[in-house]
Amino acid sequence: MDFNKIGLVLHREYMTRVRTKAFLISTLLAPIIMIALIGIPVLLSFLDTDKARVIGVDDRTGTVFARLLEQDSTRYRQLDPAPADSFRAMVLDGRLNGYLTITDAHLADSAAVEFLSDGTGGLSLFSDVRADVRAALRDERLRRADVSEQVKAILAQRTEMVSRKVTLEGEEEQDTLGLFAVGYIMTFIIYGAMFGYGAIIMRGVIEEKSNRIVEVITSSVRPFELLMGKVLGVGAVGLTQFTLWAVSSALIMAVAGMVMGGAATPDAAQSAEAVQAAADSGFSMPTIGIGLWVAFVLFFLGGYLIYSALFAAVGSAVDNETETQQLMLPITLPIIIPLLLIGPIASDPNSNLAVVASMIPFFAPMLMPLRLAMTDVPIWQVATVAVLIIGTFAGLIWTAARIYRVGILMYGKKAGFREMARWIRYS
Amino acid sequence: MHILRVNGVTKRFGAFTAVDNVGFEVETGRIFGILGPNGAGKTTTIRMMNYITIPDEGEITIHGKPVGPATQPLIGYLPEERGLYKKMKVGEHLVYLARLKGLSETQAKDRLRYWLERFEALDWIKKEVGELSKGMQQKVQFIATIVHDPDLYIFDEPFSGLDPINSELLKTVILELKAAGKTILFSTHRMEQVEQMCDDIVLYNEGRTILSGKVQDIKRSFGKNTVQLEFDGDAGFLDRLDGVRFQNRSNRFAEFTVDNESHIREILAQAVTAVEVTRFERVYPSLHEIFIQSVKNDRRHGLQ
Repeated sequence: MDFNKIGLVLHREYMTRVRTKAFLISTLLAPIIMIALIGIPVLLSFLDTDKARVIGVDDRTGTVFARLLEQDSTRYRQLDPAPADSFRAMVLDGRLNGYLTITDAHLADSAAVEFLSDGTGGLSLFSDVRADVRAALRDERLRRADVSEQVKAILAQRTEMVSRKVTLEGEEEQDTLGLFAVGYIMTFIIYGAMFGYGAIIMRGVIEEKSNRIVEVITSSVRPFELLMGKVLGVGAVGLTQFTLWAVSSALIMAVAGMVMGGAATPDAAQSAEAVQAAADSGFSMPTIGIGLWVAFVLFFLGGYLIYSALFAAVGSAVDNETETQQLMLPITLPIIIPLLLIGPIASDPNSNLAVVASMIPFFAPMLMPLRLAMTDVPIWQVATVAVLIIGTFAGLIWTAARIYRVGILMYGKKAGFREMARWIRYS
Repeated sequence: MHILRVNGVTKRFGAFTAVDNVGFEVETGRIFGILGPNGAGKTTTIRMMNYITIPDEGEITIHGKPVGPATQPLIGYLPEERGLYKKMKVGEHLVYLARLKGLSETQAKDRLRYWLERFEALDWIKKEVGELSKGMQQKVQFIATIVHDPDLYIFDEPFSGLDPINSELLKTVILELKAAGKTILFSTHRMEQVEQMCDDIVLYNEGRTILSGKVQDIKRSFGKNTVQLEFDGDAGFLDRLDGVRFQNRSNRFAEFTVDNESHIREILAQAVTAVEVTRFERVYPSLHEIFIQSVKNDRRHGLQ
């Protein structure tokens, strides 16, 4: 192997990509998109509360309506007694978004309250109204039972729970939801990176084929050296981009944290927990240890190397990008499966499923950072998976290079899996 | 002195044998033609010379050393399927390719300056390859092939796709390189170029070589079985000749091969009685004719 030539190829791949407008634009835009993904749901949840929906209350108890107003002074409007049909008509012609009928029966036992609405407002309106009605009925029942203020205060009390982790040094704060958010974001970034940079490799290989330059190059460089230089060069582009993003997003997060720190309300968190979990983390980002950062970068690299070899093999087997669909399946499947495992792993990062899945070399680049963010992964597991990833990469790049060296010289026909398998066996 | 030796080389792709026990030698300082129908194994052989693919059996040597990474810089290769990175600047691109052939950056820049000037292309140095016309890109491609000053030049179908101006330019360059003592090996389908330029040839069919040697020797071995005839008068008598195959005929000229050389006298007699003969000459067959006959014969043998 001629490292000098690999270096030349690497340098070309790096320079021609870093200088393009596409690199500049994607580097600038990605943090903005990221911020938007995190920020927009938060903004929307504020905007959403502004949209007033009017709920009529047909209060036959005479007292519950006042309790409802204590919960929300603008949303509810008392309806004069009338047949249900006229309430329906009001909903249909838009004067009301919905109405409730509350009778003494609701106070006496836990008969279900019916909420008739025009269907707008979705889940959040329903859950808000439900919470208000529950609270109003409870308060009214307590009042009628003539319970002392002391007991009311006790009932109104909410107990918070904080989780702290026991470590050798003592205890440390643990924000499980925040840690999950960190791991979740890392998993998605690595997912995007493997597809994104893998596709760059594939397109690069196809471009060299369709440009007909590959034979000129391989008369000076071994196909393996060309492939290696290409993989490392694009990997270097990825690292550069990641470094720029890390620095810029750290800055933006810091600024955003200062500006919006107090803005997130606990109410909003209830309505859309998953989105909110990610959103909140932007503003109360748990401190990420240097170890996790290093692991993140290394697993990004490991994942990139594994998948770039596969993408390169696919690129060499076709003449243009539209032919890649069928051959992409074995690559996209192992990238997508880990996404389905995020939930189970997050709910118990030390379960057998989590341990096994995070140690499969094809899944590990996405799942191991998630576990590392959420729990203490035994060092032997990390070490084992590192060895497995390196071994897998070595095997894949060897196989891919054998497909590649035949494929790049084949023009005009698309190869299937059987043909590619045959190429591996050629001397 | 042989610069290149192909010795018992076989290359298979699965069940298909692309090159079957081929052997020949290329002498230093000569122009060597590799001929043969499409799919006969020419490009596969050329790729093995360039260490792009590796023979299953046999050996190829350059200056006596088996081909490998060390022999690649000794070759200037212009593949049949050729192109450039469209997004790179001409200067950078040429430096890149020259450095892959082992030149240092300063060496590469000096040499490029010379060749770009020679091809009146110095202005393009900062342009992107994609901005150049097809003809200009072809010039850049030549420069990339020759800039590292190798001993051996391998051109696979060099004239295909070239405009007439670049075709002439390449021809001039090839003859200049020969004059400078370099060895040139090229494959082509254009027999008139082989007639004009090649000293030696090898003819492929279905993975094997069926003819090889000096062009003159090969022609001589076929004998003077070809007649060139110029005449005035009615060309109709040509239709009545037996045992001849026409390569060329018009109202005043005919060139044909005779199956049996002893019939030539009779043919002359028939011609003289029918028309006024202004020239009647026995010549060696053209390479075109040799190519067609040899491949046909080989196929016939193959079927038996």
